[in-house]
Parts: sequence; structure tokens; C-alpha cells
Amino acid sequence: MTIARKTHDRTTYEKDAPQPGRVLDARLHLLDRQLLDVDDVPVTTIDDLEIHATGGDADPVGGPAVLTNLLTGPVLGTRILGGRPPSSRLERIAWSHVRAVDSAVKLGIHGSQLDATWVERWVRDHVIGRIPGGRHDPE
Amino acid sequence: MILSDLLDQPVREADGTPVGYVIDVRFVLDGPPVGPLATPRVHGVLVSPRTGSSFMGYERVDVRSPALLARWFAWRHRGTFLVHWQDVAAIDEDGVTLARDARRWAPGYERPAPA
Repeated sequence: MTIARKTHDRTTYEKDAPQPGRVLDARLHLLDRQLLDVDDVPVTTIDDLEIHATGGDADPVGGPAVLTNLLTGPVLGTRILGGRPPSSRLERIAWSHVRAVDSAVKLGIHGSQLDATWVERWVRDHVIGRIPGGRHDPE
Repeated sequence: MILSDLLDQPVREADGTPVGYVIDVRFVLDGPPVGPLATPRVHGVLVSPRTGSSFMGYERVDVRSPALLARWFAWRHRGTFLVHWQDVAAIDEDGVTLARDARRWAPGYERPAPA
């Protein structure tokens, strides 16, 4: 698509009103940030975000909308080839679990409580745990 | 809605005139508290007239170093503007359509003072 070059290159737009809360831009402050659990253990990264209308409607257009979930999942292939994984393949971490947004996003719960870490737990229990010495710390 | 369905999408005015691409979505933490933090309300979308990519937000913050990169990215995204969420009329497979009287705002925001 060719964008009209006349579009306000030198226009100075009016400043937006000061906001009553902290401003977060999705790409600048959230996407691809590391997620740390309550013990500051890395859990995963934020691959996408989910927004809903304030009434819970899945279509947020046409009224107030809020961020409801942080999403993580198998996005490497789609980032290279385009598109995104089906919504059902993305693991959801509710915003209510977030306790701080800094250079990393910090959660208020343990990573083991999240579905996002099930692959790691499965490999630990079914693969690493079956290797002799794999169930205890190095001596 | 998944946010990646919105990012990088072409943006058109109500009459179909293309105006750019969605480079970011702005939230404000002023919704009802649902945990330790307030719920992020969708405040608006940032639209760049040229490209869907954005790097480090140079076009919307007052960071001026390293000078060469800052000037390059600020220039590359010149004309970037913010449209409030209530001025977004529709989002479909063809992109984002703005409301007829959609107003454009400067993309910057007031950053909190360092603690």
C-alpha cells in the first residue's frame, strides 16, 4: 500500500492530556520482555497481549477496552514466516498476576503455578528425572 | 482480540485515505485494580505514516542519544501520531479504519520522574 506522503510530515500535533496512571506502550514496555516469577526466576517472555471490551466482549472496538492477559507460546516460526499461532496454542497469564512492570515484568505467583511452564516440568519429570543423578543437586 | 492482529496493520481514514500503519498500542494503568496493579485501559493506537516497524520509541520519547540513531529513527517515523481508542471505528482484515472526526495527538507521553 502506498501511503500519501503529504500526511502531516511537519505538523506539530497537540500534546495529549496527562494521564491519571502510568502509560505503557505495548511494544516499548511489554512485548518480548522477560517474565519473572515471585522469586525472580525467569518464567518465559511475553509474546503477545490479549485485550477485551470492559464488559468482557471479545471484540474491543467501539467502546472502552482493557488488557486482560499476557500471552506466550510457540511464536518463533510465525515470526519468521508471518502470521501468528492459533489463539488456542497461546498460554494465557492473567494481568491480575502482574506485580510490577520494569525492565522485566514481575509476577506475584510462582512459575510452577502457570500452564506456560508445563513443557519444562514435563521434560524435568519424564526425561531429566530418569537420568541417573537427575533428581538431586550435584554433589 | 490478540494484539498482533492489530500491530503493523494499515490505517485508513473514514473516507478510505491511507494514513499509515499501527506501530504500537498505548495503555494507561488507570482501570479498576485487579491485583497489585490497576487494569491497563487501552488508550489509543500510535500510527506512523511510513512503516509498521518501530525501534526503541525514539519518535515518542525525548531520548536524544546516541545522537545519530536518535535522529535517524525520529526522522524515519516523522509524522507519527496518536489516535484515541474511541476514534477507532473498525478493525478488519483490511486494517484499521478511523472515525470520521478522529483527532490526531502528539505521540509523546509524560514519563514518571526517576525514583
